Amino acid sequence: MFLAIKEIKREKLRYGLIILMIFLVSYLIFMLSSLAVGLASENTQAIKSWNTQEVVLNKNANVSMNQSTLTKTDLKKADIGSNEALVGENAVVAKHKKRPSVSSQFLGVKKSQFIYKNLELVSGKKATKNNEVTVDQDFKVKGYKIGDKLELNGSKKKYKIVGFVKNAKINIAPIIYGSMTTWKKLRQGMPDVQASAIISRTNGYKYNHGNAKTYPVKQFIQKLPGHTAQNMTFELMIGFLFVISLIIIAVFLYILTMQKMHNFAVMRAQGIPSKTLVGATISQSIILVAVGVILGLIVMWITAMLLPAAVPMSFTPSIMIIGSVGMLLTGIIGSLIPIRSILKVDPAKAIGE
Amino acid sequence: MAVIELKDVTKVFGTGSAQVKALKDVNFQANKGEVVLIMGPSGAGKSTFLTIAGSLQKPSSGLVSINGKDITKLSAKQSNNLRLNKVGFVLQAYNLVPFLNVQEQFQLVDKVKKQGNLSKEELTDLLKQLGITDLVKKYPNELSGGQQQRVAIARALYANPEILLADEPTASLDSKNVEEVGKLFKDLAKSHEKAVMLVTHDPRLEQYADHIYNMMDGKMAKKK
Ligand SMILES: Nc1ncnc2c1ncn2[C@@H]1O[C@H](COP(=O)(O)OP(=O)(O)OP(=O)(O)O)[C@@H](O)[C@H]1O
Ligand SMILES: [Mg+2]
Repeated sequence: MFLAIKEIKREKLRYGLIILMIFLVSYLIFMLSSLAVGLASENTQAIKSWNTQEVVLNKNANVSMNQSTLTKTDLKKADIGSNEALVGENAVVAKHKKRPSVSSQFLGVKKSQFIYKNLELVSGKKATKNNEVTVDQDFKVKGYKIGDKLELNGSKKKYKIVGFVKNAKINIAPIIYGSMTTWKKLRQGMPDVQASAIISRTNGYKYNHGNAKTYPVKQFIQKLPGHTAQNMTFELMIGFLFVISLIIIAVFLYILTMQKMHNFAVMRAQGIPSKTLVGATISQSIILVAVGVILGLIVMWITAMLLPAAVPMSFTPSIMIIGSVGMLLTGIIGSLIPIRSILKVDPAKAIGE
Repeated sequence: MAVIELKDVTKVFGTGSAQVKALKDVNFQANKGEVVLIMGPSGAGKSTFLTIAGSLQKPSSGLVSINGKDITKLSAKQSNNLRLNKVGFVLQAYNLVPFLNVQEQFQLVDKVKKQGNLSKEELTDLLKQLGITDLVKKYPNELSGGQQQRVAIARALYANPEILLADEPTASLDSKNVEEVGKLFKDLAKSHEKAVMLVTHDPRLEQYADHIYNMMDGKMAKKK
């Protein structure tokens, strides 16, 4: 530790550059991870907020709630308890003459069921009438206000915003919560249709009757449009980033250590145990990586404060912790590589050169 | 009794036609309280002799003992310990850790050797004697060659070794400083009971020596 800190203090420029590099790499990792999680959550936020375990859909709907319709016949024997809720989904464009149009998902829900009951209001109240809607706070960000009247898919009828809720995104679009009656109107001309899906928060809930089929939520999420491909892309990018940063850090530390071989030889000649030198090298790497990562976290935090809410980034502590620990491990692994050379350094080399 | 003794020591580098016999049947001994000079032309084997005497490397054959104990069979760790506790080295060049200032060079010794180092007062005296009291906050690259050498001497003596091995310790010192360092070595030997072995070209040191050995082509001969 003594040697590690003294050397960093003496060689500020050299170590400053290394810290800068580690900082940039960790910042990049944090940004990418936040973006990955943020985008993924735009897809699944609502599903997660409902604590969904099982989803009942029309078996011909290719596991897509938007494509699914459940008729009276399909639902005849369904057991809808306090942990189940019917949902009617329909993609809509919300229009208002003074505000930007918003591509959104209309979700019809029932007042008596848990999804409606558990809506997390940010402001206003929950919709109680057929001409009222509760919308995701994304609308607020886009300038909408309580009392604004929305046109849905060019409808004559207007729907009044009475409240904003959070965690209400699905299929990368903000949700408009309204009544089942409104949903049926939006669906037009399918008199028998009762809902798109049954959402259950009971693990193991099963209802297979008529065209209805139950899917575990995992499968449902994987089938969300673009979700799997997007996640895999991000995982690949972040994985590569870790591998590349491991190589960069390892190479830097290796070069750094190699340049110090003569010092090591001198110290070994003077009887400084190699244990001390190895300890200095490892603790130095840990210090460098830790400082770089902490800088990354600070700048990340500032970025999070400055970024407009519309940017789909999710700054969750768990990502930051995993990223930081990952970088730290990377640094330690990187510093272990030149250890062999330190142990092999020949103290006799210090003399007569 | 001899603190350090070499018997029929040979050191061979390389093999075949590239073979160099750096030491040929070297016999040597030094006692506590003595200053011993090893002189000879470049390439004669002086540095090689020092590294073997100081347990930095092993002889190809022969016996090296310190305080009557054979050191040719020591493990790397044991050699390390020996160097830390019994032997002080002043190397030919690059003696100091570049990123530590003079004071910190001593602190480093404290970190790895907890006991038996010079006390604060003893160190102050030593620095005064070497004329480097004002340099304690300086880094090696801020020192002249001669100042570096004197710091290296202080650094080697700080751990209070029984044997001091120095390679060209006066190479970049002026006459006044040579006299100071020569006196210091002699004083160390006489009043601190150390064996001081100096490899040097410098005839100015001869007056402080109890014994002088000459090296030539790996052979050692006693001159005084
Ligand atoms: N590690 C080594 N490998 C091969 N040859 C070596 C090695 N170390 C020393 N030698 C050879 O051994 C001989 C003695 O070298 P040494 O360094 O002991 O000389 P020296 O008397 O200290 O010379 P100088 O006064 O120039 O420092 C030289 O011929 C040198 O080339
Ligand atoms: Mg030499």
